[in-house]
Amino acid sequence: MATVPENARTTKGPAALPRPALMVAAWLVPGLGHFLLGRKLRAAVFSAVIVVGFVLGLALHGELILPRAGEPLSYLAAVATLGNGVLFLLATLLGLGEGVVTAASYEYGNAFLLTAGMMNLLLVLDVHDIVVGRKE
Amino acid sequence: MVDHFLLLVVQAALIAVFFAFLWKRDGRERLRYLLKVFAALVLGAVALAWLMYPFPRP
Repeated sequence: MATVPENARTTKGPAALPRPALMVAAWLVPGLGHFLLGRKLRAAVFSAVIVVGFVLGLALHGELILPRAGEPLSYLAAVATLGNGVLFLLATLLGLGEGVVTAASYEYGNAFLLTAGMMNLLLVLDVHDIVVGRKE
Repeated sequence: MVDHFLLLVVQAALIAVFFAFLWKRDGRERLRYLLKVFAALVLGAVALAWLMYPFPRP
């Protein structure tokens, strides 16, 4: 009798992409990894939460932090910023996310942008765990 | 004027929804977890603010 691979048991979607492709998709578009795995409700919720957080962060004059020489913490913040995937790329292309340091909401904006990125990175790990069968 | 407490509540709500859907599968369990995380974040932040109150600002 043919054995069913672990991936096939955990993938509800019609087309199963290779694990790295799923993880890249999950990083690029919030919720896409879960959508491709057939977890549509979770995909919609994750996508909404991350997009709302990211847009609020920009609206609050937050900054999309990139590495700055002499500021070690900016490297950690950059990881979170890049975690936003296509949202970060789009915002950068549109000239958004420069940040207004003097705005009262600047730090809050940063908090929203950084948490959105970190949440998206957690989704990438979650997609990995689902694909390898560690999680449903 | 930006209401900092409102922003704190919105941030806590987003995080609570995210983790409830990330960790819990059953609807009722999800809701319970969501409320727990939300309350912990909001009350924790307020408690921390009170604890920091006596410290002078530079």
